[in-house]
Amino acid sequence: MKKFKSFEDVVCPFCGTLCDDLKIILEDNKIVEVDNACAIGTAKFFSSNVSEHRYTTPMMRKNGKLKEVSWDEALNKAAELLANAKRPLSYGWSSTECDAQRKAVELMEICGGILDNTASVCHGPSILAIQDVGCPTSTLGEYKNRADLVLFWGSNPVHAHPRHMSRYSDFIRGYFRIDGHLDRTIIVVDPRTTHTAQMADMHIRLNPGEDYELFNAIRAMCRGVELDIKEVAGVPIKKVKELVEILKSCKFGVLFFGLGLTMTKGKHRNVDAGISLTRELNDHTKFNLTPMRGHYNVSGANIVFTWSTGYPYSIDFSKDYPRYNPGEFSAVDVLKTNDFDVTLVVASDPASNFPKDAVINMLKKPLISVEPHKTPTSEMADIVLPPAIAGIECEGTAYRMDKVPIRLRKVKNAPEGCMTDAEIVEKLIEKVKELKGE
Amino acid sequence: MEFFLTTGRTIDQGVALEGEKLGRENIKACAICEFDKDDFAKLDCMIGTPVKVTTKFGEIIVYSQISEQGPHPGIIFIPMGPWANAVIDSETYGTGMPSYKGTEAEVEVVKSGRILSALEIIKSYK
Amino acid sequence: MGKIELTLKKEPTFSLEAESINPDNFKGKTQKDIGNLIIFHGNEKLTLKDFFDIKGTAANNLNEIEIVINGNLSKVKRIGEKMSGGTITINGDMGMHVGNTMNGGKIVVNGNAADWAGAMMEGGELEITGNAGNYVGAAYRGNWEGMTNGVIKVKGSVGYESMIWARGSTPKKRFPKLICGSAGQFLGLHNHGGIIICEGNAEARVAADQARGFVVVKGKIGRMMPSFKKIGEVSEIELPDGEKISGKFVEYSGDHATSSETKGRLFVAR
Repeated sequence: MKKFKSFEDVVCPFCGTLCDDLKIILEDNKIVEVDNACAIGTAKFFSSNVSEHRYTTPMMRKNGKLKEVSWDEALNKAAELLANAKRPLSYGWSSTECDAQRKAVELMEICGGILDNTASVCHGPSILAIQDVGCPTSTLGEYKNRADLVLFWGSNPVHAHPRHMSRYSDFIRGYFRIDGHLDRTIIVVDPRTTHTAQMADMHIRLNPGEDYELFNAIRAMCRGVELDIKEVAGVPIKKVKELVEILKSCKFGVLFFGLGLTMTKGKHRNVDAGISLTRELNDHTKFNLTPMRGHYNVSGANIVFTWSTGYPYSIDFSKDYPRYNPGEFSAVDVLKTNDFDVTLVVASDPASNFPKDAVINMLKKPLISVEPHKTPTSEMADIVLPPAIAGIECEGTAYRMDKVPIRLRKVKNAPEGCMTDAEIVEKLIEKVKELKGE
Repeated sequence: MEFFLTTGRTIDQGVALEGEKLGRENIKACAICEFDKDDFAKLDCMIGTPVKVTTKFGEIIVYSQISEQGPHPGIIFIPMGPWANAVIDSETYGTGMPSYKGTEAEVEVVKSGRILSALEIIKSYK
Repeated sequence: MGKIELTLKKEPTFSLEAESINPDNFKGKTQKDIGNLIIFHGNEKLTLKDFFDIKGTAANNLNEIEIVINGNLSKVKRIGEKMSGGTITINGDMGMHVGNTMNGGKIVVNGNAADWAGAMMEGGELEITGNAGNYVGAAYRGNWEGMTNGVIKVKGSVGYESMIWARGSTPKKRFPKLICGSAGQFLGLHNHGGIIICEGNAEARVAADQARGFVVVKGKIGRMMPSFKKIGEVSEIELPDGEKISGKFVEYSGDHATSSETKGRLFVAR
């Protein structure tokens, strides 16, 4: 007799929008229907069903091939590699829940290694900018209810945060925005005419990589300074003046920015200029900003690491106290300069997402991958530890892009034997402590 | 032809990455290069023809496509993934962040050459 | 008299944290004591003698101490950290953080230096005969005050974000100064009274977000900031530390993104 179960108000563990209105229907322990999620969230829930793409037991490389092994054997070998390492690197941590992230700090501190999370190749630059110039921000709920001007700069939510505009920033009716889409002006700044730009009221198609110049020109013009230029970043000065008037005259503006700022030349300085502009617009009206965080709990990783060590990412524990310096202790630079001897990757796929030269070096040394599905990283690893998928097969806390914590639900059981990320890390901590004689 | 290469997320790439990174869907979603409509006309080939994208840092063969997110003359877009990462500039300028968006690239239509799968690319690095 | 020579005898596999190498730490110590100073290699706590052959002795007077270091030190970090006197000469390429937070004395690197050379400098001199990396004379993360005094000379190029958040003061006679051969983006970003002379070309975003200070570029700027305004043409520049530069320059005020009226100045050769 098939047993159907349905869950409502389920939280989606994909992107930083952290939608909390999903409905999941299961038949026995298999997900058969997902309502309200976007295409990507839906795919994530379905991917938790057991298939050829998912590991159900740990794997270890023997004679060049990955072979099934017991949890004890895999954990013991992983702990041995970490305990004996002189400069272990651990990376990832954004697609799992806060308890596991808390234990990550403990593990890497005991190992005297480097701890980094995916922010270093995503919104790390935003954090660097915030550390320099602050962050006038608010919550998505406030924006939904108040913002009459929404500025997407270097961000393409239609593709990266598919339900953001329906739930918070464009179509949804808000307390003071009762006509929804008609009560808001959407402006997109992007070198491509993205699908988001195609839906906007105004699209500023600037030269790629010149966002910093445009921000500073706008800032000067907001102060009333007459600039002697005809165009900036490929945008005619007349259009920039139009934009300045719109920005100054709105009731409540919000700047949502993405990787168009953090990944182009200037990186954190592009965000620095954007934050400074937002702050200065508060001389004229109310204006806030929020980074469009990519992963559903990368915000959590930064928050948990910060309350534990004082630092959000790229942390070094080799001298028994935490030190912070992206560019020196960030995963890509550590890998590129071969300044590591073992890599532990959790909830991430750097083989796919890191530049070639970092991947080449990562593959030269032992690699441990905590990963439920077959990815290029896990298939090239020496040890694979398959966890329960956080937010689907285990509970936990995640922080949304606006730093609001939301409790993740468990809707089904993991494959037999698969521990949660937190349990796996806890076991590694126990075994490493034993090996180090603590 | 010379272009500004940028990389990033797409819905198709997002769907493919959830649980099926080694599959055919991933290749269809990520091993592509999107061109502005007018730039594509200058290439003088059919949609889907493989093209070789070459930068100072490497080369990769991907399927060509006309972008639905144009116009963007002078810019080509490859979704994030191992194909894009074979050719982007890894320089972080001391910040930890590589230049995923903004590498100078040359493009040529290829008469022969295979599109590699994700795992084939990574295995070639070992 | 007072010269002590260290020669790298073993290439480190990982970064070597060598902040114990500076005249202040060597003062009054015997050769044996110096050999036992702590140095971190990854998470291994080792000693200087594990990586260096040591010859000579250190003087008792700080300002007479001369340290010479030979070898490929591109993985060695923090030499000269916090030093207040004496000299260090490095014959080889240097890793990150050389001379950071120094407030006196002189360091010469006969080679290239990696990122963060002279960061948070408070005084003294740092000279690099080759190229330097990013963040030369810069403020560390989250610091609004970077280099406050001292002189850095880089014969070759400096990378991105050199001299960020420099804080000089004419009344207090503090003139943090950088002289470089050429520069990457964001030279003098967030400048608050620093003096920068670029002998050659600067890529873009020069003196961006400058509140006050002087930046002189004798070569060409790849792309000018739109928020700077031309205010005249000069044939001589007088810097607050008394140095005079002759030549034909266009004078700009900026960065007007930070304020409508500003004491910040950018001079570009014409």
